Amino acid sequence: MIVIDPAKCSGCRRCEVNCAFFHTGRVGRASSRIKVVKLEALGIDYPVVCRHCVERFCNRCPESAIEIGPLGQVLISPTLCTACGTCERLCPIGAIEMYGGIPHVCDLCGGEPRCVAQCTMGAITFAPAASGTVSLKPFREKARGATTEARRVCFALAETQVLRETWIAERGRS
Amino acid sequence: MNGYAGCILRVDLTSGEIRKEKTDPAEMRKVIGGRAMNSMRLIRELKRDIDPLSPENLLILGVGPLTGSLLSASAYTTISGKSPLTGILGDSAAGGHLGPEIKQAGYDQIIITGRAKSPCYILIADEHVEIREASHFWGRDIWETTTAIRKALDDNAVQVAAIGPAGENLVKFATVACNNSRMFGRTGMGCLFGSKNLKAVVVRGTGRITMADPPGYLELCRELDQRILTHPEYERRKKLGSTLLMKALNGIGILPVNHFQEGLCKYVDQVSGERLAERYKTKNKACFNCNIHCSRYYMTPKTEGEGPEFETLCSYTSRIGNRDLEFALSMTSYLNRMGLDSLSSGETIGWAMECVQRGLLTSEDLDGMDFSWGNTRTIEQIVRRMVHREGLGDAFAEGTRSLARRFGKGTETYALQVKGLDMICGDPRGIKAFGLTYAIASRGADHLRAEPFFELTGRYEEAEKRFGTRDAGDRLSDNGKAALVEYTERQALLTDCLTMCKNIGLSMDIIDFDFAARLLAAGTGLKFTPERINEALRRNIIGERKLNIDFGVSPEEDTLPRRFTHEPLPEGPSSGTVVPIDRMVKEYYRIKGWDENGVPG
Repeated sequence: MIVIDPAKCSGCRRCEVNCAFFHTGRVGRASSRIKVVKLEALGIDYPVVCRHCVERFCNRCPESAIEIGPLGQVLISPTLCTACGTCERLCPIGAIEMYGGIPHVCDLCGGEPRCVAQCTMGAITFAPAASGTVSLKPFREKARGATTEARRVCFALAETQVLRETWIAERGRS
Repeated sequence: MNGYAGCILRVDLTSGEIRKEKTDPAEMRKVIGGRAMNSMRLIRELKRDIDPLSPENLLILGVGPLTGSLLSASAYTTISGKSPLTGILGDSAAGGHLGPEIKQAGYDQIIITGRAKSPCYILIADEHVEIREASHFWGRDIWETTTAIRKALDDNAVQVAAIGPAGENLVKFATVACNNSRMFGRTGMGCLFGSKNLKAVVVRGTGRITMADPPGYLELCRELDQRILTHPEYERRKKLGSTLLMKALNGIGILPVNHFQEGLCKYVDQVSGERLAERYKTKNKACFNCNIHCSRYYMTPKTEGEGPEFETLCSYTSRIGNRDLEFALSMTSYLNRMGLDSLSSGETIGWAMECVQRGLLTSEDLDGMDFSWGNTRTIEQIVRRMVHREGLGDAFAEGTRSLARRFGKGTETYALQVKGLDMICGDPRGIKAFGLTYAIASRGADHLRAEPFFELTGRYEEAEKRFGTRDAGDRLSDNGKAALVEYTERQALLTDCLTMCKNIGLSMDIIDFDFAARLLAAGTGLKFTPERINEALRRNIIGERKLNIDFGVSPEEDTLPRRFTHEPLPEGPSSGTVVPIDRMVKEYYRIKGWDENGVPG
């Protein structure tokens, strides 16, 4: 899976740009499968992307259009998918989003993630072995009724809480 | 369309009318985008003799054909109008993430006219455009406003360009901010927002930017990335951003100290970019699609935020004699929240401090405040009063030129401004081409109109080749500088039209006309060639010049404050020399083919 280090992320969104361009030849956040949450008031930037979670919430697709690829990535069958949006609603962290009638989720670019290659901060890495180690259960309750963007924000806040605490503890050091 | 979004949006706040026009490709070939596109709009549509604060003034947000694309640092938006601070052409550009969002929403340019009856904001969500009530946001600072708007819309991803109390109170050098701390800082565009009762422009775009030749464009963007990543200054810029200039300028004796009375700062290590990075930086920050990530997030025991850039850091440290870095960072946060330009506000303070030092003003003249160098209590007080236009702050809020005229008694000599715009933080006595830039720039004392950074890079062979003399690469020489400025003025405008960051396009000398033509052609599919681009740039530089002549600018104003032309710096590597500005300006006119009054034929 893709691993994020928020301490290094500058919020430039090169990952979004290159994801969208690789998949569509065009650039736009809506068609990117990785989306950076920017919380300017906290100095936080956090790219939200599929965590390859233990639960595989999205895999309860009513059309059985989703299968898990060899690298742990979510693969969606374009022929079986009816664009019902269930997978988007099921993902507790907003890592799947419909755009133009297609669910957009990270497919690891087939094993060579462009976001990793183009991140000049070293904030995004590819760790195949980490797939299936993260539980997203705690986010399920919080996700209920929230918009997809709001779920990403909620996840980003949780994932960066420790970082913020470290900054605060060290502020004005030396 | 390819590259361009294809639509120009007009919003009249008086009538509430919202109109959309198609972007005309033939016209775009002549203006490219960004600043030139905005300036051309002003040239065509603006009534010259209006009060800048009247509803007739235009307020234009413009992006370009490559904004928000795969091109690194294609992040910039330019806001233009008749400046309330200077009364001439006003514009200011900022990065952040606003510009790409405007493009994704489907617009190349947003033209705002009129004045709303009560505070409002403009909401743009793709094709949906709406003028909304903003009374409940009025009075709130920029950070609160941004958060509140995102909350109200239940969407953290909207981009907000907002003003703070300074803009609401019509401070003449109020700023507009996006992403909390990316500032449209100069010439008072925040004041224009305020004059139109416009608190914010809020944008959400879900569209995509399409290039004419995606594989060709990709290849060019990757080539450009290589130029950036292998640039000798890359690592330093990544670590320190523009704050590296504190020590760099001090090293050549041109760091403004006590209002440009000196060029060497004894306490530079206490207020340097290095010190800032080591002690207060938590991480890098970046504008859209940048691979330098030159901005920084800071945290002190008292405050936190993004920035500061060099101009703010210097304006609130050595320029006004302050050696307390934490205080400067607190001021950075405050200025960003309130929406006040650090350069212009810093200049009013420096002016007052020097006038007091010289006995031209006393504390009785200045609301009883003690304007001795680096007095942080006074600095804090006067800035607060400027923002709210309280007491003496009301006069300060008009800008240094007006302030000095009001006090008279010889204080005008120490108002360091050109055409009403306050000097940036780089002493021209040690960088002569910059001096010429400040004198002729179409928005007043400003480096970004030409930023002839070349003269600092010691590339003498290249200087001979490009500008006919090795002297063009010697910062202390005035020889060959008009040719250098004529060149970098086009390069600067080009960078503005590509809506790329000036640090990269210009200072790092990454973009040339040939490369830009290939990028534009691959991006838009229009027949851009280096010749056509240069023709467009030249035409626009002349257009801006003529516009300013219409606004009443005289050739006598193409000059520098007396300090830089008559008083050599007392010590350091730039001492003993001044800027022979008259000669340089004449040479510049000659190269341009303009008459002796600087009037284009």
